[in-house]
Amino acid sequence: MTDQPEQHPVTGLDDVVHQRVRLGILTVAHQARRVEFGFLRTALGLTAGNLSQHLAILEKAGLVDIEKGYEGKRARTWLSPTPAGDRALRDEVAQLKRLIHQIEHGSSAPES
Amino acid sequence: MPLQGTPHEVLAGLGELTRKVRAAQRGTWFPLLLLGVLMLGGILVSRFTFQVLTVPCPATAPAAGVGCTVVKQGSPLYWPIGIALAYAATAFFYIRRSRNRGVGTPVRPYILTGIALLGVVAATSFWSTRHGIPRPGEPLDFWGLHLDPSSEMTRFLERLVGNATAVGLPLLVLSWVERSRVLLLLTAVYVAIELVPLPTGWSGIPFTSPWFFLPRYAVPGVLLLLGALGFGLAELPRRRNAS
Repeated sequence: MTDQPEQHPVTGLDDVVHQRVRLGILTVAHQARRVEFGFLRTALGLTAGNLSQHLAILEKAGLVDIEKGYEGKRARTWLSPTPAGDRALRDEVAQLKRLIHQIEHGSSAPES
Repeated sequence: MPLQGTPHEVLAGLGELTRKVRAAQRGTWFPLLLLGVLMLGGILVSRFTFQVLTVPCPATAPAAGVGCTVVKQGSPLYWPIGIALAYAATAFFYIRRSRNRGVGTPVRPYILTGIALLGVVAATSFWSTRHGIPRPGEPLDFWGLHLDPSSEMTRFLERLVGNATAVGLPLLVLSWVERSRVLLLLTAVYVAIELVPLPTGWSGIPFTSPWFFLPRYAVPGVLLLLGALGFGLAELPRRRNAS
């Protein structure tokens, strides 16, 4: 029986979530629980087109729910994180912390 | 968007984004303003419902057989209605603000606390209306609890189930919902003022005066209003930056 080599924390990073804009979107959505497209665009300093592309990727991965509607005559888009989205963000932050620990101490930190 | 660089910088960027969202969600000045006004309104209600009554003294009192003076103040409707309106207005304010700013509000625990508290305040008011004013020296039978009205414990319980809970608890929930340490500190000061008996001798207002309750409501009321002013001023630069 051979011991499994311990995985480096970078292998635990999810490419969909780790991209910096999508990580920002998930962070804002997690804290706000429900956030409007305009707020997200301003908070992250993005163009509407760029934000839409990233939202489409997150929605396709089942990490956010997108809801479109009207307030008066004004079209508005709201998004909220799914349970999978919350979990993915938590895992990503945990992996980043492990990575920091590994860089600073030369060994991986316990799972948190 | 400062979300690139070393893992340290990425985590710091996420922390910064979280703080930005929390700042947009906060609206602490509004509930503080309402509760402060409600508290100061208590002064007027006490003033206009003030009554001096003479009731027979209990047999055990030194003045047995002679009339004892009892002061009746306060309305059983003021606090339940006032708190219900304050909660409804706060919920409306947060929901409207959430729509305008485009960021959700975690106000649900605050509303649920309000509904529960309203039940407690209404039950207490109902009890005091039904039982009237206890005569001096008469034991209090409050929902099965036999209390000695002259004991320190009863007085502490009275203060605890009064404004300390009706106003202090929602503030505590709000400081948790908004992750605000400053509000938590303000709440601690408020609850301490409500729970520690304030000596009112400094005001020079006698027990039989209709204004006897003025310091009792004015001190916490002014504290809440100053808190509202402070939080309101702290929000101004953020609002300017957002517009």
